[in-house]
Amino acid sequence: MWRVLFALLLLGSTAASAAAQPAYPTRPIEIIVAYAPGGGADVAARLVAAHAAKTWGQPVNVVNLPGASGITGTLRALGARPDGYTLLLEPHATASMLFAVESDVPFKMDGKTPIALITFDPVVYTVKADAPWKTLRDVAEAARANPKTFRYGIAGVSGVAAFSVSQFLFAAGVPIAETNRVVFTGGAPAVTALAGGHVDFAGQQWSESGALIQGGKIRGLAVVHPTRLPGLPDIPTAKEAGFPDLDVVGWQGLSGPKGLSPAVVARWNALIQEAAKDPAFQEQAARVNKVLAYRGPEDFWKFQEEELKKYLPLATKMGIRK
Amino acid sequence: MDTVGLLLQGFAQALTPQNLLFALLGSVLGTLVGVLPGIGPTSGIAILLPLTSFLPPTPAIIMLAAIYYGAMYGGSTTAILVNVPGEVASVVTTMDGYQMARQGRAGPALAIAAISSFVAGTLGLVGLTFFAPPLADLALRIGPPEYFGLVVLAFSVVVSMSGPSLVKGLSAAALGALVALVGLDPMSGVRRFTLGTTTLLGGVDFIAVIIGLFAITEALLGVEQRVGAVALARLGRLLPTREEMSRCLATMVRATGVGFALGLLPGCTPGAISFISYDVERRWSRTPERFGRGAIEGVAAPEGANNATTSAGFVPLFALGLPATPALAVLLSGLMIYGLQPGPLLFEKQAAFVWTVIASMYVGNVMLLVLNLPLVGLWAQLCRVPYAMMAPLILLFSVLGAFSVRNSLTDVGMALVFGALGYGMVKLGYPTAPLVLALILTPMLEQALRQSLGMSHGDPLILVTRPGAAVLIAAGLTLTAWTLIARHRR
Repeated sequence: MWRVLFALLLLGSTAASAAAQPAYPTRPIEIIVAYAPGGGADVAARLVAAHAAKTWGQPVNVVNLPGASGITGTLRALGARPDGYTLLLEPHATASMLFAVESDVPFKMDGKTPIALITFDPVVYTVKADAPWKTLRDVAEAARANPKTFRYGIAGVSGVAAFSVSQFLFAAGVPIAETNRVVFTGGAPAVTALAGGHVDFAGQQWSESGALIQGGKIRGLAVVHPTRLPGLPDIPTAKEAGFPDLDVVGWQGLSGPKGLSPAVVARWNALIQEAAKDPAFQEQAARVNKVLAYRGPEDFWKFQEEELKKYLPLATKMGIRK
Repeated sequence: MDTVGLLLQGFAQALTPQNLLFALLGSVLGTLVGVLPGIGPTSGIAILLPLTSFLPPTPAIIMLAAIYYGAMYGGSTTAILVNVPGEVASVVTTMDGYQMARQGRAGPALAIAAISSFVAGTLGLVGLTFFAPPLADLALRIGPPEYFGLVVLAFSVVVSMSGPSLVKGLSAAALGALVALVGLDPMSGVRRFTLGTTTLLGGVDFIAVIIGLFAITEALLGVEQRVGAVALARLGRLLPTREEMSRCLATMVRATGVGFALGLLPGCTPGAISFISYDVERRWSRTPERFGRGAIEGVAAPEGANNATTSAGFVPLFALGLPATPALAVLLSGLMIYGLQPGPLLFEKQAAFVWTVIASMYVGNVMLLVLNLPLVGLWAQLCRVPYAMMAPLILLFSVLGAFSVRNSLTDVGMALVFGALGYGMVKLGYPTAPLVLALILTPMLEQALRQSLGMSHGDPLILVTRPGAAVLIAAGLTLTAWTLIARHRR
């Protein structure tokens, strides 16, 4: 009889533990950002982390591991245990754009579990506030006429701006080799140089250009987005400005190491989808100049593959593919 | 617009109990992160950023801003007491500050650091209060060619910091320049000196270098020489003499000028500015040979300059939304989370907020002076602690600090390597200041040069056809030549 009781006890406890399996997360989560705090990726991570911490009641900490243009932090995140407690805030710069430019990256593009795309940071083409050009077409004409005196500033030789400005110049028929490309180490120095008149044109993201546009130091000529941005209602879309084929965009998403459990992926997706409908979250995102753009894991991965297909020929044409 | 009236209204708000409390909290935390090597205001502000979800904007930004300028008060403490700069900007303070500590004059050194920080920081705030928008616009006109000129001018300091042997000084600088180039080139993504590994891909972090060259080297030397304690002499008075104070007054004003003017330029790091201010002070002095041996002006100048720089950093931040340093970039993201878009509109639409924060900075500086001065006596006693206890503590904090920069053991290894290197350099008579200065200035020089050439399609004449750049380069070359001639005569 004791053996029966003992067996029942064992059965009961396993059943209980299976039923009482605590839901993810049961301890603090780390979202790794491979860039310094305060940047576009960092801000997106903090947005999501705050919401997740509030919803799940567990701390969600943003850990900054900057270095080597995002490679250091990404390597660390992708090499972590796939238990769902170490994730990566993945931006365009360490996904599609990196693989379009570099042939020798220390990690594979598919060496991760994509979770979801969260935000877009649309490109805004800008000139100095008192520049004579009022539309994107004006800039195109001026650049075609005098490429040798046309100077544009970009942040990093393989960042968003490198692609956005080159795509524009190619579309406008400007002989790029004769123009002047000035490379800066970040978005802020690039738009600062624009405001100071040291370069004539820039194509950085909304989060990098917003402050100076609002401050009246630089003027936005077009925004690369299907619709006008609510925060910048006076700036036409690229399509309205006469360049419908421009489609470079900055984005931030969440990914995890390879082998992440589908349950964890599903939980995060549910959270992000619900956040996207929350007006407070939407307002927060707009405040830091980001557009909410949710895509689930399969769509997120397809999106990255499509981007790679788009950027690879562009990178080769630009001569930056290594 | 009645600026004074707005500022007074700001004070009314800043002196409420809640805002006072957060200013105090920020000041204390800032001092703490400033004292600890490796952890700086950037990490301090980033760690506390999640608090923005719970706090209203004014107290939160008051606190985060206080961390930023508070760090500049704290960085000098360990620099003076144990030759370990808590912040890059305090590296120069070690040169005379530590010597003063060894002579038993840690008290006056700490006191003058606090007083100078207060005076320069407050004067800098006056500049911020009255001249922010026009100054910000002026700063915009400084472009890559002018930056190049500025860095050439700063490099002239390397020659004067070379000590008795010019060859050794320049070799140290060359090494610093090479180390600065290791890693991924931020502009083109090309790998340099990475030896085919991924460990060096992130480059050599200069906090790790400084921890190695100063903290670890000093600990090694102290252990080897069986130093009893830092200050074997009896501790003298705790405050500077009247005569020293009156001499330093002029120093503080000069340091404010240099620190504030250069601090307006995003991209000019506080580290470089403190070196420049030290050099300016030494050139101005009638008795320059005292510098490096415990001259009190050698502490007052860099400490004042780096606080004036932090005040100046708020000018482009508030007026244009441009962060001058990484810590301010994090602060900026804090502002944006609250929907406070910096720029000219901030002064118009959110006047109450801006003026409360600015007023609170004046209050914060007073708090920091009050916090630091009475503690001078306590801190100075640390110099009498037996070195057998200090050395392991220094090493412990060094390792922790180096690790905390990027959560990476590579940086700890780097610090140890530079510790060994620093020990070798001291033994062989190589000065470390040129290495540090070159490490700071080389990336700036390279970027400014490549950007200038990018602007002109490769034509180097852009550096002389733009008046600002030409003047600065000429000044730099002249100063270097002057220093070389003066050395030759001696």
